[in-house]
Amino acid sequence: MALNLAMEVLVVDDYKTMIRIIRNLLKQLGFENIDDAADGAEALGKLKEKSYGLIISDWNMEPMTGYELLKEVRGDDVLSKTPFIMVTAESKTENVIAAKKAGVNNYIVKPFNAATLKSKINAVFGEA
Amino acid sequence: MKFNSALSKHSDEILALLKNARDKDIQLNDVMSMAEIMMNSMHAFFKSMDVAVYKEMRDIATYIEKAKGDISNLQANKLKGEHIPVAGRELDEVVAATERATDTIMENAENIMATDPTDHAAYQTAVNEGLMNIFEACSFQDITGQRINKVVGTLKHIEERVSKFASATGVEDTDYEISDEEAARLKRQKDLILHGPQNADEATAQDDIDAMFD
Repeated sequence: MALNLAMEVLVVDDYKTMIRIIRNLLKQLGFENIDDAADGAEALGKLKEKSYGLIISDWNMEPMTGYELLKEVRGDDVLSKTPFIMVTAESKTENVIAAKKAGVNNYIVKPFNAATLKSKINAVFGEA
Repeated sequence: MKFNSALSKHSDEILALLKNARDKDIQLNDVMSMAEIMMNSMHAFFKSMDVAVYKEMRDIATYIEKAKGDISNLQANKLKGEHIPVAGRELDEVVAATERATDTIMENAENIMATDPTDHAAYQTAVNEGLMNIFEACSFQDITGQRINKVVGTLKHIEERVSKFASATGVEDTDYEISDEEAARLKRQKDLILHGPQNADEATAQDDIDAMFD
C-alpha cells in the first residue's frame, strides 16, 4: 500500500489539544485532508460515511474506546483493511499485545514527536 | 467471688436450720428464717451483679469517649468541607491554566507556520512576537507547580490524620461491598485494559514496542 498524502486521515482523540497537535504534525508531514472525531463511536459513524486511508486513534476514550473501535473496524468487511495506528498513554505490554492481536498496524506511546509519528506512518505504508 | 462466698455462707445457715428442724413440725418461724436467709443471698447476688454491670458500662463509656476524641481529631468535617474542596479547586485551576497555556502556545506556533516566509521582515516580526508569547505562556508552569504543591500538602495532611485515626482506634481493613456503579467501572477498566498513563519505570519503552512490530 503506497503512502498518498492526499488521502483522508481520521484522527480520534477525546482531548482537543491532542487532535490539534496531531493535525499540525500531519500537516507538517504533508498530509492535506485531516478529519477528527472525539471518540470511537463518532469515528465509526464517520468511517461508515466516507472512505479514510488511515486512522490514528487514542485508546482511552468514552463511551467507545480506541481498542473497541479497532475491533469494530477489523470486524467490518468494508473497513477491515484500513491502516490503524494507536497513539496512546496506555503503555503496558498487555495493551500492546492486545492491540496487536486485534489487528493494529502500529503503536505509539504518548508523549511522542513528529519523527516517531512519521516513522510509524512510513512503516505502515511500507515506505523507507 | 463475693457473691459465691455469701451464697455458700447462706447455704450453710439453711442447712443448719433444716438439721435443727428434723423430726419437728415446720413452724412459721422456720419458714420466715429461711426466707430471710434466701433474701440475704439474693441481695448479695444483685449487689455483685450491679458492680459488674456498672464496671462494664463504665468501660464502654470510656471507649466511646476515646473513640469520639479520635474521630474529632480526624477532623472529618474540616477535611470534607474545607481541605478536599480546596484541593479540587486547585486541580481545576491547574487543568484550566494548562489548557490556556497550551492553547496560546499552539496558536502562536500555528501563526508562525502560516506566515509567508518569503516576506522576510513580516516573517521575522511574526516569529519574534510568536516566540515572546510562547515564553510568556510557559510561565504557567510556575503557578501550576505552586498549586500542585498545595494539593500535595493537603494529601499529606489527610494521610497523617487518617493514619493517626487508624492507629488510635486499632481498626483493621475489611472487605466492603462495592456499589454497582463502582463494579461496572472496574469491569470496564478490566475488559478494555484501561490502565491510564504509567510511571516511567512501569511503561513499555517505544523501542520495545517497535520490536514487537518488526
